[in-house]
Formats: sequence, C-alpha cells, structure tokens
Amino acid sequence: MSGQSSLALKEEGNRHFQRGDYVAAEALYTKAILADPINPLLYTNRAMARLKMSRWDSVIEDCEECLRLSSLAPSTTTTTSSSTSSSGGCPYMAGKKPRAPGSKNFKALYYLSQAHLPLKNYDQAVDYALQAHKICAETHDKSLAAVTSQVLKCKKARWEHREKLRRREEQELEGEVVELLRKEMEEALKTSSSAASNDDEEEEERKETEKMYREKIDRIIAVFDQVREKDQRRRPNPPDWAIDGISFQVMVDPVMTKTGKSYERASIEEHLRRSETDPLTRTPLTIKDLVPNIDLKNACEEFLNENGWAADW
Amino acid sequence: MPVQFAAKRLGKELSKIQNGLPPGIELVSADNLEEWLLDIKVLDNNPLYLNETYRLKFRFSQSYPIEPPEVVFVKQTDRPIPIHPHIYSNGIICLDLLGQQGWSPVQSVESVCMSLQSMLTGNTKDERPPGDEEFVRGNKQRPKDIEFYYHDNTV
Repeated sequence: MSGQSSLALKEEGNRHFQRGDYVAAEALYTKAILADPINPLLYTNRAMARLKMSRWDSVIEDCEECLRLSSLAPSTTTTTSSSTSSSGGCPYMAGKKPRAPGSKNFKALYYLSQAHLPLKNYDQAVDYALQAHKICAETHDKSLAAVTSQVLKCKKARWEHREKLRRREEQELEGEVVELLRKEMEEALKTSSSAASNDDEEEEERKETEKMYREKIDRIIAVFDQVREKDQRRRPNPPDWAIDGISFQVMVDPVMTKTGKSYERASIEEHLRRSETDPLTRTPLTIKDLVPNIDLKNACEEFLNENGWAADW
Repeated sequence: MPVQFAAKRLGKELSKIQNGLPPGIELVSADNLEEWLLDIKVLDNNPLYLNETYRLKFRFSQSYPIEPPEVVFVKQTDRPIPIHPHIYSNGIICLDLLGQQGWSPVQSVESVCMSLQSMLTGNTKDERPPGDEEFVRGNKQRPKDIEFYYHDNTV
C-alpha cells in the first residue's frame, strides 16, 4: 500500500469519470481496489466505468464481487451469507439477500442488469433490474425512475427475443409439415402409377391425389399465414389502465393516491419531491400516503408478458 | 442518474398527437424534443378571436412533465397575439396551470392547448393585463421565472 489512499484514488477516478475519461477512471478505480480490496463500493465504481467501456463481462465480475463483499459486511444486520458466488456460474441469489436499508447495492444490481442485456442474458437482465427496483422503491432512491426504465427496457428486449425464437420455430415447423406432405404425395403418386392398369384411369387418379395433397399444403400455409398476420396486427396502443399518467409508460410498480388513481411509483415520487400535492386534485399528498396497487401491478405484468412491445412503445 | 422523463414522454405525446388532435388545435412542428409549435383557433363565434389563428411555442426542460413547459404565444404576420386580460402583448401568458404552483404532471401539450382555447373562448374583455406596456418594455425574464400574481380567477 504505497502512495495515495484508496479514497483519494477513488475521488480522482470520479473526476476523470465525470470528464468522460472512462479509461483513466477505470485505471484509478483499479488502483483504489488494490489499496483496499474489501470495500464493495469501489467495485461498483469500477463497474460503472467498465459499463461505459462496454466491457460487459468485467462489469459482471465487479458487481458480483461487490455483492459478495457487502453480504459479508459485519456492520449490518446479522445475515449469515450462505453461498458465495462460485466463478463462472450465475449466482444471482447473491442479490436476494436482505441488506441494510440505504445500502447502495442496488447499483451493483442495476449495472448487472445493464451488462447482461447486451450479452443477451435476458432473464438475468430482467431479474437484476427488478431486484434493483425493489431496493430503490424501499429506500425511495432518486434513481428509481432510471431503474424503472431499465425494467421496461429489459422486458421489451426479452419479449422481442422470445418472439423472434417463436417465429423462427413456427417457420421451421411449417417447412417440416409441408415437406412431409410433399413426400407423402410423391409416395402416393408412385404407388398409384404402379397399381393402375389403364393409362387414362391412371392419369385421372394421379390428378386426384395430387390435387388433394396440394389443397392440404395450401391450407397448412394459410393457417401459418394467419398467425403471421396476427403478429403484425397486435400493436394497438396499450390500454389506458396500464399507462402511468405522468411518464405515459406501462406501469411496473403502480401506487395509488387517496383519490384512487394509480401512478408509477417512480413518477409520482418524483412529482411529490417537487410538490406535495395530488396531481389531479392538488390536495396535499405525501410519499407516505401512497399505497401499492397489487392487483393492477399483476395486471400490468400480465399485459406486458403478452404484449412486450408495449414496454417501450 | 438524472431523471429522463422528458424524451420518452414527449415521444409518446407526439405519437398520440400524430394520431389526431381535438378540433381547432394543430401541430405545426415538433422537430426536436425541446421546442414545439402549435396553432390554436377559437371554435365558437367569440368576436374577439373570430377567423384568427394563434401560434403557441412550447419549450420543454429535461424534467418535463415534472416541471411545466414554457408556453408563449408567438407573433407572426398571420399569427397575432390574442387579446386577453391574462396575455401580455409580447405573448407571455399568465395562467396558473403553467406556473410552478399550478402545474401538474398529468397535464400535457394537448391539455394545455385545450385550456388556452377555453380560456380564450370564455373571455369577453377586449383588454391586456394591467401594466402591459411597462411589463413588455421592461421584462427580460423567462416566463417561468416571473412571479405572476394570479389576481383574478374569474377570467
């Protein structure tokens, strides 16, 4: 441990980060970590710089190390941490451990979500974003809006990915079924040609068989066409009940005011920080008055599962 | 992590607007997410505003719709400033809905236009706010920084 303290190194790193020099910031955070390898917050700082550098894998390493270290931290409530992250695996149980309120660890979870998304690990991206959201909501953190957007972004990406897979599978299935019918038709035509004696009769029969199979194939293609058409069509605006009247996005965590109207938690809290009034009636309203609307939350979640495009329409 | 409501929310407002606006309101331009122009007309036969079209300029900050937009009438050869006891002749509007206190994030570009439309519709006074001339001559402030005194809620 020579020269500067880890804190001084971190602060110098922050200055470079703010200036947009992420490479220099990352190097300084690395030095800070070498000087104080058990401070979890240094790892999220470095992860933040590495996010800017699109170094997704090392973002994930840093965040997992941060979560591991903070789960070991003795200062908070005595939660016996069981499994620590074994290398290579996907230990996102680490994020589910209870931690002290006000803990900054939502950042590690938030960055994990941001790193898993470009790596196309959609389930992890959604899962980490939701975990980060939960902590932000509990602590009324100002980053709640950004984290809420991340949840929606991940959900949309996951939905699009699943849709792509589904469409590809259906196309393959269509090809297979059509191919099977074709083969069957060829077989049938072969056997009919050997069985029939009369040339005219043979020709007649061949035509019948072929026509029957052609019709079947056309019908199969028509059915798949219908599905494709339906995919194109289902893009109406999302229903009003699912939309937050402030951000105009589908709600992730709706909370209800005294008037019975629900808003996205991030939006209404942002508004209440500026003005403690109900947006509709302008009567006094504080964050403490907000009540989670669980049924609406579930309905919005279900809607998004079916209509992931609406997560960022 | 700054709050970035504005871009998404305005994008959605724009797509809604492009699907249609209420009668008498038209989008002129929305080339970016900072400044939009809209035209409004008064739809009844109020002689003060008959056959006229008025141009509104909306300016949005990064924290729209948590913060109100800045909304003013702009003057052009074919777009006068409507006469109204709450509208200064330089286009600045004194409406509590647009002030720091009266604004609510559930308002939108469309709802602001409709409010201004009905504010004109309901007006019978052919006059400017008191002290209009001095105000227009002296004012260097941005509309949002002016402390209006909402003295008259009947207009």
